[in-house]
Amino acid sequence: MPDAQRPDIRLTGVSKSFGGPAGEIPAVAPLDLRLAGGSMTALVGPSGCGKSTLLRLIAGLERPSTGEIRIGEETPDDLRKRAALSVAFQDAALLPWRTVAGNVALGRSLARRPRDAGAVSELIELVGLSGFEGRRPAELSGGMRQRAAIARAMASAPELLLLDEPFGALDELTRDRLNAELPALWEAHGATSVLVTHSVAEAVRLADRILVLSPRPARIAADIAVDLPRPRDGVVLASEAFRETCGQVSAALRDGQAPGRLAAQ
Amino acid sequence: MSGTVAQSGGFAARLPGSGLIVALLAVVLWEVLARLTAQSFFIAAPSAILAHMVDHAGLLWRAFMVTLWAAVRGFVWGNLAGVLMALLVVLVPRAERLVSTLALLVFCLPLVATGPILRVLYGPGEGPQVTLAALAVYYTTFLPVLVGLRAAPQGWFDLVRSYGRGRLVALREVRLPAALPYLVAGLQIAAPAAFLGAIVGEFTGAERGLGVLTVRALRALDLPATWSIAVIASAVSVLAFAAVGWAGRRLDLAPPQVLLAAPLETRKSRWRGPGEALLALAVTLALWKGAMELFALPRFFAKRPEDVWAYMVSGPGAEAHRAKLLGAMAETLAFTAPGYLAGLALGAGLAVALTLAPRVASLTMPVAIALRSIPIVATAPLIVWALGRGAAGTIAVVAVMIFFPTLVACLHGLARTPRAVLDLFEVYAAGRWRRMLGAQLPAMLPAFFASARMAIPAAILAVTTAEWLATGRGIGALMATVASTSDYGMLWSAIALIGLVAVCVHGLVGALERWVLARTNAEQLAR
Repeated sequence: MPDAQRPDIRLTGVSKSFGGPAGEIPAVAPLDLRLAGGSMTALVGPSGCGKSTLLRLIAGLERPSTGEIRIGEETPDDLRKRAALSVAFQDAALLPWRTVAGNVALGRSLARRPRDAGAVSELIELVGLSGFEGRRPAELSGGMRQRAAIARAMASAPELLLLDEPFGALDELTRDRLNAELPALWEAHGATSVLVTHSVAEAVRLADRILVLSPRPARIAADIAVDLPRPRDGVVLASEAFRETCGQVSAALRDGQAPGRLAAQ
Repeated sequence: MSGTVAQSGGFAARLPGSGLIVALLAVVLWEVLARLTAQSFFIAAPSAILAHMVDHAGLLWRAFMVTLWAAVRGFVWGNLAGVLMALLVVLVPRAERLVSTLALLVFCLPLVATGPILRVLYGPGEGPQVTLAALAVYYTTFLPVLVGLRAAPQGWFDLVRSYGRGRLVALREVRLPAALPYLVAGLQIAAPAAFLGAIVGEFTGAERGLGVLTVRALRALDLPATWSIAVIASAVSVLAFAAVGWAGRRLDLAPPQVLLAAPLETRKSRWRGPGEALLALAVTLALWKGAMELFALPRFFAKRPEDVWAYMVSGPGAEAHRAKLLGAMAETLAFTAPGYLAGLALGAGLAVALTLAPRVASLTMPVAIALRSIPIVATAPLIVWALGRGAAGTIAVVAVMIFFPTLVACLHGLARTPRAVLDLFEVYAAGRWRRMLGAQLPAMLPAFFASARMAIPAAILAVTTAEWLATGRGIGALMATVASTSDYGMLWSAIALIGLVAVCVHGLVGALERWVLARTNAEQLAR
């Protein structure tokens, strides 16, 4: 149960462009957006559309070119200073000289939380890495590394959890299992979460709301609420409503992608 | 990464068996060669060397311990300085150009000249040896540690930032652990270099040590003694190199990815480069003068920048001084340039040839790594004896000095060709030459240029020492002469000129490197 209502994330007029030798390249078009506190929002869109940039803006890892971002009254920097957010990076970003347990424990120590071997091993068990605590990242498969990165992101019990394609390198079975087990964890803590993903089914299964982004510069092509009951077990996944929502998101993706070409056909 | 570790383990495992046979054969060949050429008087037979070592065991042992102790202290101080400088550059990135230029400049100072000056400064004792040992190692530690401190991918820093932690935490959690394997690689090169530095330091009027014995043996044309010391120095160097490598493997470190990255192209405007060069020059002159004034060093031997200017440009007899110095420099450069180019070409060429014949490469790599650590300068008199006091001897000393590091660096570079690229060539059944030209040579270029830059101070060290100890020509001999006649104006002028030439050549090689890599390996410059 969320102990307190999490504040909303508000983006006002936020845009981002990157300076290149050939001039400014816009990555994110000006956006006005409000993400409800305690909810899970999924960002879907074609590769390279600026989803990850948007996530990094919310994390405070990039400065917006225009506009501002607030989480309640705080800026992303304030949140980072309190170690109240965490990011599960696309490339896992595990430190190669630390073991799995060491990398997960780093999530607590970077967040200035006391050592807690019990909590660390619980998280490792949750992501299915029991028995691999003492291994180095180089000895793990890509999927195992991403699971370790997710465990590390959860280790600081963040108020804001940012997931950048965290299940990208996982096989279908593991992905399914984590999709089933992880939501319980962040729901219990009431974290506000933003998930970047390529998988439409994953977005529908995990999110309360799906933002479909257009190709670069990112604009919101569709804003789809997911009103499926939780927990989203097998019954929900087999339901007509689930399939309908998936179809809706896929259609929005196609339309956002190349409207010109579709019209020509 | 684990693959490379297993591979190097394989090298070590293969050495005792085949290596022992090769070594035995080499000793036998050496003995035969020495006996055949006994009248030409430059190769001492292993039996004669052994006899000398046994006869003078006590003397050699005491001298060895003295030199070793100086080398150990120099090793500690020099590496400490190298690491601290790398940390300074990482924490204050603006200082990079300045610190790098000063570090290079000091590293290029010819030991032949700094030795006597340090001797005057310290008086009798072990100060100069320790200082020269430290000077011989700090640069080869500074460079890789700096690369290592920066080698971490952006994602690791993002991770630290995402928890709102600052640069000190990034340093502790990311940069320092990431730099550790690079530090080990640097220490590995430093261990033999410190020993060499201590020996050269003893050349300049120490009371005890292997360097003193070397000079005595050379003067007396005592062949077995000279060879004995060269053998001891080489053995110590190989052992020190291997010991640091072993310690590194015990720490179970991932091997460093790139040892020496290309210089960063951070130039924002057209004036930034010349501006920074001028700043470096100004700071050098200020430090030079400031240090001398601060310690109130007597003007008689501690010449200030303006004294050198007067000596070379505006004072009485400046024209004669200039002619003498530039003449000696021209003579030296005429020998150094061919040796430098030949060493680079031979090293890179052999690396390519060995890669085309991989079986031979797997056998030669450990030998090359071992030979790289031999203090060539300690063997310089032998090479000059063998090839004569003319051009061939000096060119050979410079080339040999550069050859081994270049070979090892280029072999590493060739081995770093991405697996996927090699697979691509394999899919099209491309031949060995095609693969070499299309995939492996471009992968070798960064390592080649890195060793070309590192070879500049090595070439200066080799040529000045050879000229001083053996040939009696060029700027090395000039510096030795004026040091003994206390003509300190000429000595400081020679130091300044060598430093200037070294920095200019370094800049030239760096520019060539950027020009070539921008066309072949753009990713190396982007970092």
